[in-house]
Amino acid sequence: MDEAAKLRVIRARTRRRFVFTGITLVLYFSFVLNWTAVGDSLAERLGASHVTGSLLMFVSLVIFFILLELVFLVLNQATTRSGEES
Amino acid sequence: MNPVAIGMFLAFVVATLCISYWASRRTHSSQDFYTAGGQITGLQNGTAIAGDFMSAASFLGITGLMFLGGFDGLVLALGAFAAWPLLLFLLARRVRNLGSFTFVDVVSQRLERTRIRLVAVGGTIVVVVLYLIAQMVGAGTLIQLLFGLPYEVAVIGISVLVLAYVTFGGMLATTWVQIIKAILLMTGVTITAFMVMYLSGFSLETLFATAVAKHPQGERILAPGVLFDSPVQVATILVSMLFGTLGLPHILMRLFTVPDMHEAKKSAFYASLFMGYFYLALVIVGFGAVAFLYGNPVFFAGDGQLIGGSNMAAIHLATAVGGNLLTGFMSAVTFATILAVVAGLTVSGAAAISHDLYAELLCKGAPDPRRELQLTRITTVVIGVIAIILGILFQNENVAFIATMPMVVAASVNFPILFLSLYWSGLTTRGAIAGALVGLVSSVALIVVGPQVWVSVLGFERALFPYDYPALFTLPLAVLVMSVVSWLDNSERAVIDRSNYHSLLVRSEFGETGRPPPVARH
Repeated sequence: MDEAAKLRVIRARTRRRFVFTGITLVLYFSFVLNWTAVGDSLAERLGASHVTGSLLMFVSLVIFFILLELVFLVLNQATTRSGEES
Repeated sequence: MNPVAIGMFLAFVVATLCISYWASRRTHSSQDFYTAGGQITGLQNGTAIAGDFMSAASFLGITGLMFLGGFDGLVLALGAFAAWPLLLFLLARRVRNLGSFTFVDVVSQRLERTRIRLVAVGGTIVVVVLYLIAQMVGAGTLIQLLFGLPYEVAVIGISVLVLAYVTFGGMLATTWVQIIKAILLMTGVTITAFMVMYLSGFSLETLFATAVAKHPQGERILAPGVLFDSPVQVATILVSMLFGTLGLPHILMRLFTVPDMHEAKKSAFYASLFMGYFYLALVIVGFGAVAFLYGNPVFFAGDGQLIGGSNMAAIHLATAVGGNLLTGFMSAVTFATILAVVAGLTVSGAAAISHDLYAELLCKGAPDPRRELQLTRITTVVIGVIAIILGILFQNENVAFIATMPMVVAASVNFPILFLSLYWSGLTTRGAIAGALVGLVSSVALIVVGPQVWVSVLGFERALFPYDYPALFTLPLAVLVMSVVSWLDNSERAVIDRSNYHSLLVRSEFGETGRPPPVARH
């Protein structure tokens, strides 16, 4: 792979990294909403259950982050197979 | 003393000492010592990372906070967990492709080797020593409570065991101690969570309803606001935990124990998977502690406080749902947890001194391998002795404040240097050093004038700075100083630093055949 091609690959990978990082950071810091007036509804119970939106958010974030990592790894593998890497 | 705990503890000690003996026969070079020869698989390394990171503070601390404040305790769990996706996305490939033994190797490849190594090693040692003090003080107190041993004996016992693992078995023994501990901890948490669910009729609804009925704060424990009431306060914790974890030298060092970048990425993923499971199980354990401890006089002292403080909630819960057998198991697991974390820190501290300072700086990267390994082992013993002395000296200090500092310093010094050297071509040596110093000084100063030190330790009425974790302010400040000073830097060295970025970038993404990679112009 020549230098220009390598740089193209690097740019694509860096873009992908920042997209995944951005999604993670936005969701991560959205957890702070629980302590603001905007996120008041999160503190409510879901229907008649004792589970609140806040608790559901915590569990969902942990599971979503793991899935996000899985997607990142699969995407990396796919681009490797399609010849992105040397 | 609980005989089950003692039996399990002895079994763990014998097993791990046998592993150390086995590992010592395979540790012949500094590469074996620092990174287990780079032959650990992704799954093993991911488990070891989880074992290294899921400290007693995570397990006992978060359960204790949930016991006190319900949902609010989960802030620390999310903070500790979310760093792992970012480690995979941002750092795993580039750090693994560029470094040899420590993250300092990475940052010193494009910046002026001597000065940046000194600063990065300084950051590493500060973080390792502070983390070590927090672990030793916590461990001494905990072992004193669990096994009824005098504090000093507990601290010396832990250090002697860790020295036996690390001095002889290096990273290989440390890795296996961490793997065993991770498996034991996850087994213990799983059994405890299972028993909580069993006693709640396998109904989360029943568990939460019982917890709400028993806790003095009632329904408030299901929502935010019991322990933390301000969004800025929560944000300070989230920033410190997230970026602090990404700057912890003993965690970054684990990326070099695998053969290649693919295994490094797998490590980060497996670590996430195990920790995700662990923190989700803690939701059940935390609310279980509320449901099964409140209202049970067996676990409370005459003054109405939980015996041993809120940090003992997880152990008391084990007694409540599993009797002496589970208590013994969880006590032994807690002890194993402490040993594994201290072992990881000791390897990291030894590598900073013998590899980063001696081999790379004093010997200009060409040390006598036998002397380096000998020095590494001596350094390990010295760190062990320092850990004993500091552990005893700081025994009456506030552990929470000692534990805060390494995360904030790692977030304000190590992380910005590492991130900017990997992702910004404009970073110069002068900018990196200026920013790191500002990050270090501001983080230590704000912690000192914050509530943990100014009020709790020094006894003043009101803190000068309102937050315990100042990284929300010190991290951006460090990055700003690094950027501005680098941007204004017109020195000859700055031209070299900027021009080194291109080759570093290509190597960080595509790696190289043969290690270690050639160093850029210095």
